[in-house]
Amino acid sequence: MSKGISIGSGSAYSTDRLDWAQELADSGLVDYMGFDCLAERTMALAHVRRLDDETTGHDQRIPELMRRFAGFLGRGGKMVGNFGAANPAAAADDVLRGLKANGVNGVRVGVIHGDDVLDHVLDQDLELPEMGVTAQAIAARVVSANAYIGADPIVDLLDEGAQFILGGRIADPSLYVGPIAYEMGWALDDWDKMGTATLVAHLLECGTHATGGNYVDPPYRVLDDIVHLGFPLAHVSDDELIITKMEGTGGAVDIGTMKTQLAYEIHDPAAYLTPDSTADFTQVWVEEIGPDRVRVGGATGRPRPDTLKVLVGVDEGWKVVTEISYGGPGCADRAQLGAEVVAKRLEPFQSGIDEIRYDLHGVSALFEGQLPGGEPAEVRLRIAARCDDRETADAVAFEGQFLWMGPAGGGGVNTQMAPAIGVTPALLPREDVKLITEVIDA
Amino acid sequence: MKLREFAYSRSGDKGDISNLCVFVYDDDNWDILRRELTVEKVREKFGRLVKGEITRYELPGTKGLNFVMTEALGGGVSRSLRTDPHGKSYQSLILDIDIDADTEIKPHLG
Repeated sequence: MSKGISIGSGSAYSTDRLDWAQELADSGLVDYMGFDCLAERTMALAHVRRLDDETTGHDQRIPELMRRFAGFLGRGGKMVGNFGAANPAAAADDVLRGLKANGVNGVRVGVIHGDDVLDHVLDQDLELPEMGVTAQAIAARVVSANAYIGADPIVDLLDEGAQFILGGRIADPSLYVGPIAYEMGWALDDWDKMGTATLVAHLLECGTHATGGNYVDPPYRVLDDIVHLGFPLAHVSDDELIITKMEGTGGAVDIGTMKTQLAYEIHDPAAYLTPDSTADFTQVWVEEIGPDRVRVGGATGRPRPDTLKVLVGVDEGWKVVTEISYGGPGCADRAQLGAEVVAKRLEPFQSGIDEIRYDLHGVSALFEGQLPGGEPAEVRLRIAARCDDRETADAVAFEGQFLWMGPAGGGGVNTQMAPAIGVTPALLPREDVKLITEVIDA
Repeated sequence: MKLREFAYSRSGDKGDISNLCVFVYDDDNWDILRRELTVEKVREKFGRLVKGEITRYELPGTKGLNFVMTEALGGGVSRSLRTDPHGKSYQSLILDIDIDADTEIKPHLG
């Protein structure tokens, strides 16, 4: 009998819903669940939380997670996630507490440390190409740096018997590549196999995004039920790769949903770079073999990159957004006039404003005039600014709110303000990232 | 005919780079898509939204195109002041492109 693994997707971002993921875990269809809990900015925000309180900075859903997945773990199910975010040790503590609280015994927890490379980034004065500077030039504003880590430590921990594995910035596909490589006995330097595992991982890592989320566009693309989307799962064997979802859930696993997920957030399809391989998806094929069931294949791979991508978190001051609506005849003209008046009133604050933009929702906010329409029935003026300090941000908010006083008919003022944390990419030689794995028996 | 009549799309983000993939509903339209949906057409439609380069890649196995557009998200998702910093809505803008090959194209809806 050939080897195989059944693995499901449990989360695609930091606040993804866990109820539907639990349904999949409890269905008995999967042995493993992967959980991606981080977007580009989530990591930097987690570091900011940790700076405020050193016991935080990890996934805040862990107590709920342990409650929901206690049954799955009790039946021997395995979970891999980047729940650690900026604080893997604190996440491990929460996991151990959750196991105890839910009466789950004998679970070996694997923790991956070492993706925090802030010291390296500053010591080596890494280039930040999207910002056009090096790290030292903005050292006072650099709040975090995390390297994307691959499948290697996950395979090591599974080999040591870990059943629940967590780390910081584990790359999204690696959460799945690790378990697939381990269970299939695929060597991490068998590049075609790594390309194949990366294909499966890529189709799972975005959760319900691959099963009908961000897809329906009536009347062209219609699915029967998008109220209760099923999380995707894969059955991997040496003979075939199957992607499907739980029976009775909504959405679809078909050629359309799979193709859009295949090319989601990849650049050159012949060179999809991950910490595990340079995957080639150009010859990937998708075949429907049943309702919500596809067979995929055709991925190949070449050696993994020598560098690891690092996301550097940068303090950008304050971001403020203030909005007001106008309606009826001439509304777009009045909104435009409101924008011009605010710009004039903010002139004394110009030196503290890094960037400001004025958008007319309903007219040109999304496409900046590239898709002209007719006269709208109503329009919402949105003023957004990134400011060096809180005082300047307050001034922008004040002037936005003062639009109550004209032009005529402005209503529904709403203002949001928050510290602005940006993230920008850098590259670090692989050997500079020293990962440490730890095993804790609960 | 609008691209939306015979193709579908999705946009994604990494930093300040937006990628837009486009697939045909009917494989018979693949050659038309390859021929007609040029970088120039995409650049014309996106105009000021894209300040950097646009590169087109092919996925022959799935009969799709992937456009990678740099400096396209107002400085990157986390810095951007755009209403839609991820460019999620770009997938809808590309489908508004006019494709001048009406007689040959099989529309998705009869």
